[in-house]
Amino acid sequence: MAAPLARHAPAYGRAPLSRRAFVESLCGGFGAVGLAGMLGAGTGPNTVGTVPIGPHFAPKAKHIIFLFLTGGPSHIDMFDPKPTLQKYAGQRPDSADLRTERMTGGLLPSPFEFKRHGQSGAEISELLPKLSGIADELCIIRSMYTFNPTHTPARNLIHSGNIASTRPSLGSWISYGLGTENQNLPGFVALSPSVGSSQHWRAGFLPAEHQGTHFNHSETDPEKMIRYLRNTKLDAAAQRQQLDLLTTLNRQHREEAGSDAFLEARIQAMETAYRMQFEALDVFDVRKEPATVREEYGTTDFANGCLLARRLVERGVRYVHVYYGPGQPWDDHKEINSKLRERCPDMDRGAAALISDIKRRGLLDETLVVWGGEFGRTPVSEAGDGRDHNPYGFTMWMAGGGIRGGITYGATDDFGFQAVENRVSIHDLHATILNQMGFDHERLTYRYAGRDFRLTDVHGRVLKELLA
Amino acid sequence: MRTIPIFFLLGLLAGSPTPAAAQSPQLDHFESKIRPVLVEQCEVCHSAALEKPMGGLRLDSREALRQGGASGAAVIPGQPGQSLLLKALTYKDANLKMPPTGKLPDNVIADFEKWIADGAEDPRSTEAEESTGGISTKKQEGPGTPIEEGRKWWAFQPLTEHAAPKTSKPDWVARKIDSFVLAKLDESNLEPSPAADPRTLIRRAYFDLIGLPPTYEQVEAFAADPSPEAYAALIDVLLDSPRYGERWGRHWLDVARWAEDHPTSESTNGPHPYAWRYRDWVIEALNDDIPYDRFIRMQFAADLLPGFEPADMRALGYIGNSPMYHKDPRLSRDVIETLTSDDWDERVDAVSRGLLGLTVACARCHDHKFDPITNKDYHAVAGVFASTWLVKRPIVAMDPAAADKLVWDHERLYRVKGMLGNIKELDTIAPELHPKVAEMDAEMKELEAKLAKDSTPLTHAVVDCGVWIDGSIPTVTWFDLRPGQPRDLPIFIRGNVANPGEIVPRRFLTVFAEDEPEPFRQGSGRLELADKIVGTAGPLAARVWVNRVWGWHFGQHIAGTPSDFGTQGERPTHPELLDDLAARFVENGWSLKWLHREIMLSATYRQDSRHLENAAKTDPTNRWLWRYAPSRLDIESWRDAVLQVSDELELRVGGPSEPVDTECEARRTVYSQMSRGRPHAIFQLYDYPDTTQHAPQRQITTTPLQQLFVLNSEWMEYQARSLAQRVYQIRDAGEKITALYRRALLRDPTAEEVDQALSFLAAREATVGHIPWPEYTQILLSTNEFIYLH
Repeated sequence: MAAPLARHAPAYGRAPLSRRAFVESLCGGFGAVGLAGMLGAGTGPNTVGTVPIGPHFAPKAKHIIFLFLTGGPSHIDMFDPKPTLQKYAGQRPDSADLRTERMTGGLLPSPFEFKRHGQSGAEISELLPKLSGIADELCIIRSMYTFNPTHTPARNLIHSGNIASTRPSLGSWISYGLGTENQNLPGFVALSPSVGSSQHWRAGFLPAEHQGTHFNHSETDPEKMIRYLRNTKLDAAAQRQQLDLLTTLNRQHREEAGSDAFLEARIQAMETAYRMQFEALDVFDVRKEPATVREEYGTTDFANGCLLARRLVERGVRYVHVYYGPGQPWDDHKEINSKLRERCPDMDRGAAALISDIKRRGLLDETLVVWGGEFGRTPVSEAGDGRDHNPYGFTMWMAGGGIRGGITYGATDDFGFQAVENRVSIHDLHATILNQMGFDHERLTYRYAGRDFRLTDVHGRVLKELLA
Repeated sequence: MRTIPIFFLLGLLAGSPTPAAAQSPQLDHFESKIRPVLVEQCEVCHSAALEKPMGGLRLDSREALRQGGASGAAVIPGQPGQSLLLKALTYKDANLKMPPTGKLPDNVIADFEKWIADGAEDPRSTEAEESTGGISTKKQEGPGTPIEEGRKWWAFQPLTEHAAPKTSKPDWVARKIDSFVLAKLDESNLEPSPAADPRTLIRRAYFDLIGLPPTYEQVEAFAADPSPEAYAALIDVLLDSPRYGERWGRHWLDVARWAEDHPTSESTNGPHPYAWRYRDWVIEALNDDIPYDRFIRMQFAADLLPGFEPADMRALGYIGNSPMYHKDPRLSRDVIETLTSDDWDERVDAVSRGLLGLTVACARCHDHKFDPITNKDYHAVAGVFASTWLVKRPIVAMDPAAADKLVWDHERLYRVKGMLGNIKELDTIAPELHPKVAEMDAEMKELEAKLAKDSTPLTHAVVDCGVWIDGSIPTVTWFDLRPGQPRDLPIFIRGNVANPGEIVPRRFLTVFAEDEPEPFRQGSGRLELADKIVGTAGPLAARVWVNRVWGWHFGQHIAGTPSDFGTQGERPTHPELLDDLAARFVENGWSLKWLHREIMLSATYRQDSRHLENAAKTDPTNRWLWRYAPSRLDIESWRDAVLQVSDELELRVGGPSEPVDTECEARRTVYSQMSRGRPHAIFQLYDYPDTTQHAPQRQITTTPLQQLFVLNSEWMEYQARSLAQRVYQIRDAGEKITALYRRALLRDPTAEEVDQALSFLAAREATVGHIPWPEYTQILLSTNEFIYLH
């Protein structure tokens, strides 16, 4: 029986079942698969791990850093200048339906000055001087739109392609598809000051090993950042002695019990955990960076998140999601102008430093940086000096990872309310991100509950015009 | 009114169109503005690439477009007002809205209007061009598997007992199960493993039935008399233990995706403070061995069954504790109805996959592509949940009218609070709402004051109550609840609530009816639904349950996809065994304890678990059961075992849930707080299933982060210290080690193991100046021997 629609099409390459069968053949029927998410390949003759699906074609990017501005940043004040707003300031022209979920007032012009920057002449506001300085690296998409005006569903959508909070996150799909590069670190890391949004790094129906590992980057001390990372009573030498005896006992038990691979897997996992304590102490400690680098990024939580993201991708982590939080700071329902003046410098500095830094290190070509929130904000005012949620049109940008820099793509209407030209849905964005990682979004599937699921469901178009 | 679906369109972006050379402004307009939309938005449902284009309409050639479909011409050149295509795009006709995924932007609709007014220039030939998109070129299948054909599927057959097959070793056979297993082993030239030694077997039986290890003394007593009679008696004792329900009730809670809150906790979907009462009911029901068919009926409709006791109300928590999405009343009617229909969908999915192994939710937007389940079937079952509302109900005997009042007062308070949480600020801006908000505010305060005085114990349950969405006030969407009035749902075409089609009466799945299925007639139909599940569909329900139970005993299932018995699921490895066991399960009164005995007394179950190189070569995944497959303990068994051997475990039964990882919290893990939105890290570490939806089975993983918990957590360190203290009074180090082995690993250490321990302790003593026993006990608790079951 041929599959009629792509959503029911079999997975490309190794089907999930044969993959599972492979793991089971190694594990005697029990998927000791979680190891692979952390261990990767090449841990010796007794390696036990999942076989990643592997890319469908040569990937342009190996890593993704997603800078997420929780709450919905205002495109109108940063990337999408609208002179028309001046003309109709305080009015609601009859020709435009500007209704959103809350009561809003007249059009609110942005007080921030826009100038053209770089050779590409990208228009960016004075709020973002540092990003303006690297404008030629940015691919600015002004025509994003999403399907839900409320934070949680819209955030679920941008993370998982669905408004429900139950589907696998983008990072989990990447981990499922590519596995991890570093045996001592997880493949998918979420850096967030709060765990309140753990649904955003959920593996959903994908094997649990692909769930994002959460670290609280508002702590700079790795011991505070990573739960159970350090033993508060024992030093490394004492713990080594402890582990040596444990390993001896486990090996004796393994011989007695018949040398099943999963028994060795847990022995190895124990060793990895032991090593991780020290590796993580180094990797997760941004304080080890030279003063010049820290100065470039700044030392706010977001800046530390950006810097930590760089340290992680450098060491082979596939996907790092950095949250600007806690809460939803970019949800500017009131006093938007003064709040943006307070908040933008920190974000601008960290994001621009990240791109400059990874470019200098030769990592920008293989690292895709994505910037944005769950939606944008309205051109009309809310409560006089705020802006409401706007799912109909907003801006995101990408840089590196085989995406063309120095272009501005798509457009919203004269008010900056609806995306009208070259509209880009969240599914299109996902399809494009997967494409850069070497996946045909229609063929990266997982069989669950009777059918094959995709990140992009039955939607999504690769934005070929944006590819370098 | 019946909707005739004329244009079925699916919002599928199917790649770029093939550009043709534009020769005129009209053609240019077609190429740039019209063709891409037709390809991207329309042709997935309306093209020659499909055997049956929706509504008989194709939009992929000029002729086809002008000829139209079942409702006539789609486009009349020069007459936009007469063209059905434009009418559908504008969404002005409630019964003709395309594409179903949502109205296109106004400028796109204006493009179509202009195009038709200008004469609908269309260069496409009669032969439909092959779309460049990967999806729409594929042939569309007919509407799923025909019901007649589908009825022949193995899972839908009546249950039959099978004669035990002839085997190579009749002596090995202890129960009927063994003949079926041995016959398959014979076919693959495999031998069953020898019987497990008594010490291994008793530990296996304890963990399996009660989720706790035996004591050293219990192990030794059994090892002294490992006769078949002693083993059977042991199983009886374990089945009679109150610990049994705590273990097997926990298995059921996985199926029921039980938790105490929702995927998010917002104003309209706050947590469920009495969810633990359902958990307690499940534990009691399992201990009482309530027949499985009654167990299911009670969870849908305990309040409607003969012999109802007020405490049975707790059983309704199966649906009563379902995950619910937040519904901000400021959202539009369509969005709220979509979110509400997502709730119904979750329940259809949990019930159909959980109890019947059928993926009915796949038929939400169209007929099931692989199984005999229609789009109508989906809506017929979803209607039961659209006629059911989650409320708190009393668990004590009460005057019915007073109980009813209490239920609806609580319901009203929960909902008014939820709404006010979101709309209060609107009050100042939307004057028309002012009286309503003030009224609700007053009502809330009054209800709060009144209910604060009431101490009737409550549980999360359901009542019969039709659910509609009231969008009459544009700024705020309300629920329109009609107690006692069921709601038959319209087919939401392509899953879109804004595009309702034919109304479908509430009823069971067509595949189980001889003819047309009879509509449900009693209230919401929840009792009838349960009756059908364990009645007409009983053979399937029994197969699914027996297969799950088998999986919990053996770590692997007879049919490898326990929640999908459809054509996309895995076929059973031992079909006759599953059939026979399910048939006898029903014959033996749907008794779970009967099933445990049948399985655990078998020679198959009592096999040794050692890895055998040759057998593993032939059958690496052990699908033919040449051994008992060893497994890692799940989080509940492991945590409970650590607590028990360090003498910390508190065996108090039932009551509100408590935190899982504080040092003073020493109750069994089944009594831990369980959150859907924020599950505790330890549950996430150890493969606890996702409770936001039905999870077919647990995945067992082994990760370094788990080991960090073992090596470094304060909880482990505390348990290690407790364990060390239990042998505090023993002076001699060797005797101490022996005592610790007996406690933790249920056996005596070998001489080598004592030496290894002594040299570790001596080395540590040399460093720290005393013998740090807890460092050693932590090792014992961390061993593979402790955490693996053989």
